[in-house]
Amino acid sequence: MNAPALSAHDVKKSYWLGKREIPILKGVNLAVERGEMVALLGASGAGKSTLLHLLGLLDTPTSGEIRFDGQPVHNFKVGARAKLRHQFVGFVFQFYHLIPELTAIQNVLLAAMMQKSVCQYWKERRTTRAAAEQILDEVGLSQRLSHRPAELSGGERQRVAIARALLQNPRVVLADEPTGNLDSETADDVMQMLFRINRERQLAFLLVTHNEDLARKCHRVVRLRDGMVVG
Amino acid sequence: MYRLFLAARYLLSRPINLLGIGGVTLGVWALIVVVSIFSGFLRVVGEHVRSASADVSVWFLPDSARFHDLQTAIDEVPNVAACSPRLVHFGLLNRPGETPPPPPLLGRGAMQGGDTPFVSVLGVDPDLDRKTTALDAWLVAVATELRVKDLQKPLARIDGLPAILLGEERMARSGLRIGDKLALSTGRVERGEGGGRSLVQVTGEAIGGNRQDAPVFVVAGAFHTRHTGYDGNTAFVHIEDLRAMLSLPPDAVQEISVKVEDPADTEATADRVQRAVRRELGFERGQFQRAPLAYSWHERHRGFLEGVEWQRALMKIILIVIMVVAAVLMYATLSMMVAEKTSDIGILCALGGSPRGVMTVFLSCGLSITAIGIVLGTVIGCLSAIYLEEFRQFVLWLAGVDLFPVKVYNLDRVPHELDPLWILQVAGVALLVGAIVSALPAFRAARHDPLVSLRGS
Ligand SMILES: Nc1ncnc2c1ncn2[C@@H]1O[C@H](COP(=O)(O)OP(=O)(O)OP(=O)(O)O)[C@@H](O)[C@H]1O
Ligand SMILES: [Mg+2]
Repeated sequence: MNAPALSAHDVKKSYWLGKREIPILKGVNLAVERGEMVALLGASGAGKSTLLHLLGLLDTPTSGEIRFDGQPVHNFKVGARAKLRHQFVGFVFQFYHLIPELTAIQNVLLAAMMQKSVCQYWKERRTTRAAAEQILDEVGLSQRLSHRPAELSGGERQRVAIARALLQNPRVVLADEPTGNLDSETADDVMQMLFRINRERQLAFLLVTHNEDLARKCHRVVRLRDGMVVG
Repeated sequence: MYRLFLAARYLLSRPINLLGIGGVTLGVWALIVVVSIFSGFLRVVGEHVRSASADVSVWFLPDSARFHDLQTAIDEVPNVAACSPRLVHFGLLNRPGETPPPPPLLGRGAMQGGDTPFVSVLGVDPDLDRKTTALDAWLVAVATELRVKDLQKPLARIDGLPAILLGEERMARSGLRIGDKLALSTGRVERGEGGGRSLVQVTGEAIGGNRQDAPVFVVAGAFHTRHTGYDGNTAFVHIEDLRAMLSLPPDAVQEISVKVEDPADTEATADRVQRAVRRELGFERGQFQRAPLAYSWHERHRGFLEGVEWQRALMKIILIVIMVVAAVLMYATLSMMVAEKTSDIGILCALGGSPRGVMTVFLSCGLSITAIGIVLGTVIGCLSAIYLEEFRQFVLWLAGVDLFPVKVYNLDRVPHELDPLWILQVAGVALLVGAIVSALPAFRAARHDPLVSLRGS
């Protein structure tokens, strides 16, 4: 099994403004191998976020194929896509997207609840909680378990979001400018942590960023230009 | 799992949801309590009216009617247990020698009982009447000092004078005691030779008095039927005394009370009695001005009972308004919540949720609010309906305010009657309204594009 963890084949995506077609992605080919950390660079508006959403099955391409472990998955039904998203992909966003009503650990646990029935979850609640605590410890937040997002700093919030993305042991993490909202020192800390996780867990990462220095530290850099991946 | 968990978290972290719960509770509570009071009132008043009436009454008998002929005919009707004759007259009661007070203003006093000196004077035969009405019970349901001496012969003559029975409260109010004398000022219609009619003064000549003065009766005791309006405006005398006083032929009768065996069949029995009476009187040959009628007690008081029922129906409609207000309140708070929470929809989808799943989060929020409101409203509604009297006493004691003047209606407590069917209806309607009201914002949430909230800040 040498198929890449995640790959895109001639993926096109257009938006329609009234009757006018606006092509954003014009045939993207991209593969992320297991354990590989790929940086995705591109000008603002190039379509990086759009590509990430397509790869994470949040959106459907106008044409082309998305494959997980070599299996085409882009034309699955809504329910199956949600399930795959849950098992296969972890998302990290620029704006954290934590749920303000929940504590740090509850935000992480939410990831485990998504596809389970109440009974299932109840049976596994102890192991799930232990796993969540361990991951929060891994991102350095063992002292912040019952803080709400409003009581956490930006860096801490992003760590919670990362912990949430990791709880289900995904194959790929899709990170959309994870440090875009942090000051450079905190951003460095968070990036160090992502590199460490990538090493320790052999997780595939696709990292959208504007930072060339940061991109250079990744295994590979690809650029999105004119709706195509180059480099 | 996440649906329940999030719904619970959203609900608990937003105190404004209490407003929705409160609204539903209030609506359900009001619908249960008020309707319970009206139903209870209807039942109690029905019982009161019933207690003062015979099962079936035959009215509009012609002058030629004779009781014993009709009795034979009526007794043959299936389901008839007994019947008794009555004469129905009227007059002003006052102490002898005193001038009667001016007649009362129309529409005042009658329901309050006894304000008016103008009464219906019913001539009854106690031996027969106790078989068709609750006469015996009425006679013992009074204070001991107002009770007739001989319960077997309550209307026997006293010292050669005819006896009269008055409502208990009326007696107490006018300070009358057993043995007091009362004059009855009244007249009667006399048909002249040429068919003309004239009103002549009735004197006591035929019943032991003189030919100038009004007939004098001796108070033999009091009666009490629980139907206040009836007690205050009715006096009983012996049918023979009234016949003599009005110079009516022996056995003359104006009204007949009938007792039935099976109360469930009262209406049909009334019809049969009416037919039997008409046949016996030869009504089919058509020589009467008015057709004799037989009414059941319910029919007879239909106007009054239907009035109360109509008020209850009206009340229900008015109270529905509270439900509408509650629904609007809930809709507003839920819409606000969904608008605020759309930013969470994106991440929930990214974590493996679907728009439909997110919809159920908001739907269960709304349904929980509704369910909690219904349960609270039903429980509080039932409890407060049952203990309203205690609550009234408490307020009376605390603030001196009477919330519900039970005495006016001759009730001993605030009435209540909880109808399980009505409670189910209220709960059902509330649930339906709650479901609709929560479904609208939930659908909006489901239609929301998750990518929009993921892109934006
Ligand atoms: N729903 C939509 N309808 C129409 N056009 C859209 C829609 N969503 C995105 N676009 C357009 O697609 C283009 C790509 O957007 P995208 O967010 O992928 O850019 P990006 O590379 O992530 O930019 P940035 O670096 O600023 O985040 C933009 O020009 C945007 O205006
Ligand atoms: Mg972007």
